[in-house]
Amino acid sequence: MTHYAMVIDLNTCVGCNACMAACAMENQTPVWKNKWRTYVPEKEIGTSEMVRRRFFPHLCNHCDNPPCLTVCPTGATYKRADGIVLIDPDRCMGCRACAMACPYDARYEVTYDDIKVGKEFYGELQRQSPSMDKCSFCAHRLDKGMKPACVETCVGSARQFGDLDNPSDPVTQLVASGVAQPLMPHLGTRPNVYYIDDMKRKG
Amino acid sequence: MDTMTYTTQSIWTWWIAMYLFFGGLGAATLSVSFLTDMYCRPHRKLVLWGALSGVVMLAISSAVLFGHLLHHVAVIYVLNPLVLFYQPHAWIAWGTQFILWMMVWGMLYALPYMRETPLFMRMPLVGALLQTKFVAWLSGCCLKRRRIVGWLATVNGIGTAVYTGLLIQSFPAVALWHNPGVPLLFTVSAFSTAFAYLLLLLNVFIPDENDQDIRHRYERMDVILIATELVILFSFFNYTLSGSESGYRSAKLLWNDMGWLVGFIGFGLIVPFFLELKGVIKGWGGRMPTVAAALLVLMGGYMLRHYFMYAGVYAYPW
Repeated sequence: MTHYAMVIDLNTCVGCNACMAACAMENQTPVWKNKWRTYVPEKEIGTSEMVRRRFFPHLCNHCDNPPCLTVCPTGATYKRADGIVLIDPDRCMGCRACAMACPYDARYEVTYDDIKVGKEFYGELQRQSPSMDKCSFCAHRLDKGMKPACVETCVGSARQFGDLDNPSDPVTQLVASGVAQPLMPHLGTRPNVYYIDDMKRKG
Repeated sequence: MDTMTYTTQSIWTWWIAMYLFFGGLGAATLSVSFLTDMYCRPHRKLVLWGALSGVVMLAISSAVLFGHLLHHVAVIYVLNPLVLFYQPHAWIAWGTQFILWMMVWGMLYALPYMRETPLFMRMPLVGALLQTKFVAWLSGCCLKRRRIVGWLATVNGIGTAVYTGLLIQSFPAVALWHNPGVPLLFTVSAFSTAFAYLLLLLNVFIPDENDQDIRHRYERMDVILIATELVILFSFFNYTLSGSESGYRSAKLLWNDMGWLVGFIGFGLIVPFFLELKGVIKGWGGRMPTVAAALLVLMGGYMLRHYFMYAGVYAYPW
């Protein structure tokens, strides 16, 4: 069995946003309204000489206990056997309950207008109907044996992708060592995106 | 701590507050008027006004949500009753079914009374429809099984009122919403606004001296419900003050806001509580104080949901 997970090393993310661009081109996200499947907010932490910039890439955490799935009234949000949480756009009525339930701010809406603009922006648009949208771990690429677009394009190798059910996978070892931690585990969502904390910030 | 971002949301705003308010009010109005008709005494006017205005409120509530959907055609999946088998954990699925069946059973309960009312029988289209053999037969069946139909409507009504709270409770990131007090608060508020609305009907639109006992009973129930709501809100205040940063920030947003404090707690709960309490204990010379109290309770019912939606604080670790 496969159980996909991602590890993001905050020490090596340089905030180049190449992951955002690669994802946008791969998944045709509505960038014209600043909506991305993955994005990298930056923050200044500290004061005077101690101030430093921090980049924090985030995306759908593909939780094992996803609140977005349990609130979805039509069954548009579903989970594959390999742990990937996906949306069926034809089945999604766009009530936005999933966006309200997601503790990681990973979902955004794609409207009729976005589809119109998207056709001009990307030339040919894969999606036909409006729906909620989010990261799919590039499931279509994984099915072809490729890595997610953001992982492949990351210049600092900050993003690593692997199979938690494979004990020799470096991602599994990072997670097992405790170096990589999930976000807000107290919520019981069991996320599959892990972060290696920013050591500089820890001092 | 300094890496955390705390923010309110702009996804579900006033329109969801409207959906929750009209959904809860409409459902509780139907339930209370049917229970009165079944167990107090038969009351044609109350049932007709309660059922029709309740159905209109539920329709407004559903229309507000439907209007804000991204993909209107896909609503078909949630209208299908089988949704409860494949999405039993989704409260919107339950809520949609409760609202739908509440409207159906509500209209069926009111049907025999409609056929007894000359106004409906004279109405173009409606009158013709009510006189058809099928509707006459259906009306006869409903009359024979009055309590069963009444209880089916009532159960769906209570379900709708509870659902409005369960929906908000199902969002785990926000401390103000994700706790067992929310369904309780929204249910109590839904029934309190329903009693207020029915008091308005009995005092303004269908006043009858013989209904003094029903008015008195409704007023007494509303006083108890408002008091319960105040107790729940007080426990919410204590709950949000410590335990989580999200909850604390929600508390600061709510309790530093004059609209919440004076508008909702003051004029939406405390003032009508005392107006109705005096009405229950000593009575009022005229109808105005009761009508004013009812209007204030209705205003408060919307304000509660409005402020609740805007005061939910998410905590993001970036």
